[in-house]
Amino acid sequence: MKRFLVLILVLSVTLPVFARNIDLSTVPSRDTVQLTIYNAEDLTLVRETRVVTFKKGVNPLQFSWANTLIDPTSVELRFLARPDELTVLDTTYPHDKPQMLYWNVASEFSGEAKVEITYFTSGITWSADYTGITDPDEQSMRLEGFVTVTNNSGEDYENAQVRLVVGTINLVEKIEQLARRGMLQAPAAQGGYGGLADDRKRLMRREAVRGMVMEADAMFADAAAPMAAKEIIKEGLSEYFIFTIEGSETVPNQWSKRMRSFDAGEVPVKVQYRYRADEYGDQLVRMFLLTNDKGSDLGESPLPDGIVRLFRRNESGTLSYLTAQSVKYIPIGDKIELNLGVDPNVVFELIDLRVFRDNIWGTFGTNVRRQFDEPGVRIEDRGRVEGWDEHTVFAQRIRNYTGKPIDLEIRRAVDGDATFINRVDATRHDYRTVQFTTSVKPGETRDVKYEVVQRMGSNQKQNRVEIEVGDPAPVPWLE
Amino acid sequence: MKRFGLWSLLAAMSLPMLPGVQSGLDARVKLITLPVRERVEIQLDHAFATLVEEERVVPLVAGTNQVEFSWANTSIDPGTIVFRVIGFEGDVKGASGGEVNVLSVSYPPGESALVWDVHSTHSGPVRVRISYLLGGLSKSYNYRAVAEHDESTLTLSRYIRVQNFANEQYDDTQIQAGLGDKFSKPIGLNETKEVLIEKTEGVPITKTYTVDLSQFGYLDPVQKKLRVPMHYVLTNDAKHKLGGEALPDGKVRIFQKDSSGTTAFTGEDWGQFTPIDDKMKLYLGTAQDVVVKRTIERRDRTKVGGNLSHFDVVVKYEIENFKDKPVTLDIAEQINNLRAEAGFNSDRPAEWVIGDQTTFKSKPDAEESSQDRVLFHADLPARKGDKAEKVVHLLHLTFRNQF
Repeated sequence: MKRFLVLILVLSVTLPVFARNIDLSTVPSRDTVQLTIYNAEDLTLVRETRVVTFKKGVNPLQFSWANTLIDPTSVELRFLARPDELTVLDTTYPHDKPQMLYWNVASEFSGEAKVEITYFTSGITWSADYTGITDPDEQSMRLEGFVTVTNNSGEDYENAQVRLVVGTINLVEKIEQLARRGMLQAPAAQGGYGGLADDRKRLMRREAVRGMVMEADAMFADAAAPMAAKEIIKEGLSEYFIFTIEGSETVPNQWSKRMRSFDAGEVPVKVQYRYRADEYGDQLVRMFLLTNDKGSDLGESPLPDGIVRLFRRNESGTLSYLTAQSVKYIPIGDKIELNLGVDPNVVFELIDLRVFRDNIWGTFGTNVRRQFDEPGVRIEDRGRVEGWDEHTVFAQRIRNYTGKPIDLEIRRAVDGDATFINRVDATRHDYRTVQFTTSVKPGETRDVKYEVVQRMGSNQKQNRVEIEVGDPAPVPWLE
Repeated sequence: MKRFGLWSLLAAMSLPMLPGVQSGLDARVKLITLPVRERVEIQLDHAFATLVEEERVVPLVAGTNQVEFSWANTSIDPGTIVFRVIGFEGDVKGASGGEVNVLSVSYPPGESALVWDVHSTHSGPVRVRISYLLGGLSKSYNYRAVAEHDESTLTLSRYIRVQNFANEQYDDTQIQAGLGDKFSKPIGLNETKEVLIEKTEGVPITKTYTVDLSQFGYLDPVQKKLRVPMHYVLTNDAKHKLGGEALPDGKVRIFQKDSSGTTAFTGEDWGQFTPIDDKMKLYLGTAQDVVVKRTIERRDRTKVGGNLSHFDVVVKYEIENFKDKPVTLDIAEQINNLRAEAGFNSDRPAEWVIGDQTTFKSKPDAEESSQDRVLFHADLPARKGDKAEKVVHLLHLTFRNQF
């Protein structure tokens, strides 16, 4: 397989090597490679090792990365063996050869040494996603987490150890920009990243599949032993979390690979119906509430941002699609809230039953009027209403046709200086929002009645809702 | 038939390398099988998504297998593909404790395909289920109602219509419509299939005549005569032989049996989504034999002080039923529109009470009324000979504390 990333030991005696037209070189191959992929930025730290044979004296080393997205400022060379006897004298970026550098390495011996080259590349990304399949009665679900690594870096990374970083890091310059800055003068004929010809793609794909088959064959000796999907080891590091995929993976350029990060068989699900106009719109939605903790068969790691796709396994074993929803990073111990949308079998209506006003105040100035041709005086006040209390009686009607008892949590915003009169143990969610809960049996229609008193005009002294326990005012036309 | 859309499942079984062969790449013997669909089920129970589940028997060898799934020219959402292993087929020797695991999934560039790495502990055929969301396969509902000659009951037939523009044909597919029982039908490319889900005979209906100036307007504005639409009302509950599930929205075509035993088309309407216990109201047309003249009989202001007043409004309805049958007329008023019509404009909600001049025998219909709308029922006698009795009703509302 062709590689774009090449380390060359230049067998020339004198410098500068790049002024010569006839050269001889050896190409030490890549022994190991480790990818540390960040999901918050288009950034991957590549750490590769190669064995290089040095001669005593100055050894020119050429490192090139044509058609890849490597940040040239990040490339580093380290000596893993005999570091005391090897020194990088200088690093040269030739002006006429983009995506290439030379190191002059001074060696105090003749022989092999293992070197490590690290650099940042863009174009390799990873993302998380989740598939949940509930039981027929929606009491618990099997939740599987996946990570998908996508390689558009221009380079094939074979048998790489893959580490995925969850967390938000700070970068002052984008790696892709740094990489492309170095590519500006690249001849067009070389083709840029992603610009591979179709036949080349096909070739790469065929080779990639073969590569994967080879990997599979390596395991063939133990074929009869059950083989689970690879384990993903999770560990915390500062503000980040690192997922390390067991063993090694081959992700050819332009391919994606999805692996399971966890499989929780019995995650308890709490179903709650919620009305929160600010969050879910003016509708009652059905929620699945889960917790990322040990008691829920989860809690091994935070759950990175990703799409959750939910299905229900029916009694017959078939699946029904429920919903797909993006979730934000969920720390260990935190709740997972999944919105399934409106349930057509629960009817939720808010009915205005009555409006009336009292405690009406006004300012009165008095004018006296006399008829010109007849005796008589009329006194007319010219007062205007300035303040009053407005009472509205509501019925929150819930009809449950689901065949199961349902729990609801309802939040209603009440503007202005208001009192919420009820017998439903309402609490204040915030200064202007009242929250109450109720349960409705299967087939039941429940009217939760309450009264809102809003002090209007000059009667308004506050801007907050207060809760008062009591019966709402009667509705004469109904009772 | 030419198949534009084709998706296939390929199982590539890799055979063990011979000892001593260093680079096995070129020496490999590769065999590809094409497992056919054993069973397909289409789930249409979601409001807008269509889930297809297919069952195939995939021959696996002990070890790691590559199973490739591709879907050219169809709109499958690859993120929604779920691969489930049901188990070994038939009598695979020693496979009772066998395990099949999906190790990973690879997505090749620029193709509608994926490759599963599947590890099996035994060689043998394995039944798998692959499900995915598919675009282009949609459903709608429609109804056909045949009313008896006396319009007391009707026969309601509910149909589902499945349209297949998904670029794939499905032979003998089980379809779960989300309503009624599953049914099994083939559905070809670009085909539309209509299937009867349920037919219910003897569904009692109520025929209503309604006047509501805000909603239906005048038939003759100069003479203040209101339009009187006639509705069939179906109640979705067990008492009315329905109520098993919510009725989805769809067009309802209504026919009526005539005296000669055939049927006549009497109108159609869009039936709204109707939860259990709710009513589906179907507008058939305007009734010309029930005449309702509506006038504002009285409007008085009672000053409380300053700009604060109570207003009294009396609406008069003069009703004649020219039919030879007694009917019940529903009379509705939108409170805020009535207040505005009487000249009391305000953006504040109306505070109202029903006044003592009201002549309706009962209170407003509790189910159909609220703070914003009142609805009363008025019983009208049948025409006697060629004379219709004029029934007069008054609705007296007091709008209190207006300013």
